[in-house]
Amino acid sequence: MDPVSLELPHTLRGPQATAGYGPTTRTTQPIVTGTSVVAFKYKDGIMMAADCLASYGSLARFRNENRLMKVNETTVLGVSGDMGDFQHMKHKLEDVMTHEYDMDDGQALGTKSVYKCLSNIMYGRRTNINPLWNSFIVGGVDGGERVLGYVDLYGTTYMADSLATGFGKHLAVPILRRRVEGRADEITEEEAVAIMDDCMRVLLYRDCRAFNKLRRAKVTAQGVEISEPYSLATNWSYAESIVGYGV
Amino acid sequence: MTSIGTGYDLSVSTYSPDGRVFQVEYAQKAVDNSGTAIGLRVKDGVVLAVEKIKHSRLLVPQSNRRIMTAGKHIGVASAGWMSDTRHLVKRARDEAHNYHSVYKADIPAKIIAERMGMYVQAYTLYSSVRPFGVSTILACVDKDGPQLYMVEPSGQFVGYRGCAAGKGKQVAKTEIEKLKLEELTVREAVKEAARIIYAAHDEAKDKLFELELSWVCAESGMLHAHVPQDVLADAIQHAERSLDEDDDDEMEDEDL
Amino acid sequence: MDLAMQARPMEAPIEAHNHNRWSPYVDNGGTTLAIAGADYVLVASDTRQSDGYLINSRYSPKAFVLSNNAVLGTSGCSADSKRLYEVLEQRAQLYQHRHDRQISTPALAQLLSNTMYSRRMLPYYVFPVLAGIDAKGAGAAYSYDAVGNMQRVTGVCFGSASALIQPFLDNQVRFKNQRDADPNRLLTREEAFKIAVDAFTSATERDIYTGDYLEIFIVDAAGAHKEMRELKHD
Repeated sequence: MDPVSLELPHTLRGPQATAGYGPTTRTTQPIVTGTSVVAFKYKDGIMMAADCLASYGSLARFRNENRLMKVNETTVLGVSGDMGDFQHMKHKLEDVMTHEYDMDDGQALGTKSVYKCLSNIMYGRRTNINPLWNSFIVGGVDGGERVLGYVDLYGTTYMADSLATGFGKHLAVPILRRRVEGRADEITEEEAVAIMDDCMRVLLYRDCRAFNKLRRAKVTAQGVEISEPYSLATNWSYAESIVGYGV
Repeated sequence: MTSIGTGYDLSVSTYSPDGRVFQVEYAQKAVDNSGTAIGLRVKDGVVLAVEKIKHSRLLVPQSNRRIMTAGKHIGVASAGWMSDTRHLVKRARDEAHNYHSVYKADIPAKIIAERMGMYVQAYTLYSSVRPFGVSTILACVDKDGPQLYMVEPSGQFVGYRGCAAGKGKQVAKTEIEKLKLEELTVREAVKEAARIIYAAHDEAKDKLFELELSWVCAESGMLHAHVPQDVLADAIQHAERSLDEDDDDEMEDEDL
Repeated sequence: MDLAMQARPMEAPIEAHNHNRWSPYVDNGGTTLAIAGADYVLVASDTRQSDGYLINSRYSPKAFVLSNNAVLGTSGCSADSKRLYEVLEQRAQLYQHRHDRQISTPALAQLLSNTMYSRRMLPYYVFPVLAGIDAKGAGAAYSYDAVGNMQRVTGVCFGSASALIQPFLDNQVRFKNQRDADPNRLLTREEAFKIAVDAFTSATERDIYTGDYLEIFIVDAAGAHKEMRELKHD
């Protein structure tokens, strides 16, 4: 029998068997996703929050995921988008930090450098048309200066006193522009927590992929602190009085 | 050792008639010319110490380190050629990184020792290469507790409770054998290690030297790190005091 | 061997590759203009960075001073703009290290064209202007398309408000459609500065992608210096 005319058993056909052939494949949509991240500067440093949900489409699939990563002693990373791509990035950043540790030169990688490193990876991936499907917010204190930066799957970067990803861009940013912009130096930790809670509550009410179990991170001169998961007080009795579309 | 190899010492790809590979033995000689390096595995961690011989007073203190880190949790101390050492440390880092990339876990001591051993051994096989003139001491705390390995120029790697390489290895080994390693804490071991390095130091041959001390223990967060300055200063003080005491003893002996 | 007999699966038709493909580009809006004079050159850019109806940042500069004091003004995809600046700056510094002198503006202009063209198959989505002083001490402004086509100009505008500003520059800087004006006259700094500010304040009224702050760089023999003006934040 001519060996080339052998039919493969059905278990060996399909993507696994043909991965080496055919068209190259790329991520065209995220699969397991995290929703918004919200972050802003305040008097002592920066504050960031994200919920603990990783959705599978509209299914609330993983309800105890941490979307805030402590990168080093001065930097946190908040993530939305594909959680698999995030885990890949997390792995990469851990390698970068190990490399820094091994150098043993008394120099720590600052927040700005972490942000640049992350941005370069994201821009590189998008340029190879193989993006990591995420929006990241990097926050920290670098040489006494508060740093807050955004980068996404297009490699787009920008810095501002207040930032958000995903639905947060539409729902949290207007609140933050009113309550934070121009007065980041005056906001106490107590007020920062109140502002953050308000933003996360609005997102919880209106973003169907948001979840009432979240973590809050703060970075100050003292270092990084990521809270244990907590919940916000909500009041759904308003819902009854909402009349309009679909009611 | 027969230093005249009668033509059998030109390449690692040729055995001598009595079954030796002279180039590997010469590499061992290169190690024996180096400042002493020791490792102590104790009950709650591992300590590394090196007698870094300085050829000039102009060198910045704590520069040109001979104890380095590979992948956060592994300490590498070495005796022998520093240039070869740096190459091997790079390899150790690559191995640690590679293991982490595949398994998302820190590489266990046994595995990195084995991989380093295999790598070094490959340089004893081909006439186109020279064996490494380095003995590498690997220190690590993994899930099986404190670990200490030494990789020789031959590629042989062995686990130890305490080990030594370099000029003063005989003195150092004798001293290490007197210790009850399984009862010591790292805090105590640091002082002992300093004392041993000072004892092994030969003032007549090398005047200038610097003690390098590192550890892997709970106090360093189970990461490999050079010991803090105050711990180092204490250890040096302890080492100098015990040297003086020995000198006093000798003087008394002479008096008798 | 019969090709059809090969175990290798048939490749999907080419069309399947292109359809449903993710686009690597975003248009972040914003406007940049350049005006060249006898002994100076001016670059003006707003600092807004947008993504559709969202304002990402009110201050995300897109004009960059290079180490030889030339200014690169950009518009289009912000990620590409920033990378283009980094690459150009790196190459300008490399020139300095290799030749022990700063790269001239015309040489840098050609280098920018080459840099853009090197990405012909995945262009930088950037419409740059490069402004500096040429060998004779005259102001030199260069305009480019996304693949590196270049032209030396006296007044040019790119970006989301270019359709509003370019005709204005044609008339006020290049004296087009003016009956008695000398078409070769170059603007004084004061004139150019006023025109740049007026162009942006007017454009901000109509173009939602232009606004927040205006950065104006003036380059002359002494170097580059920056002036800031506020634009509407709406």
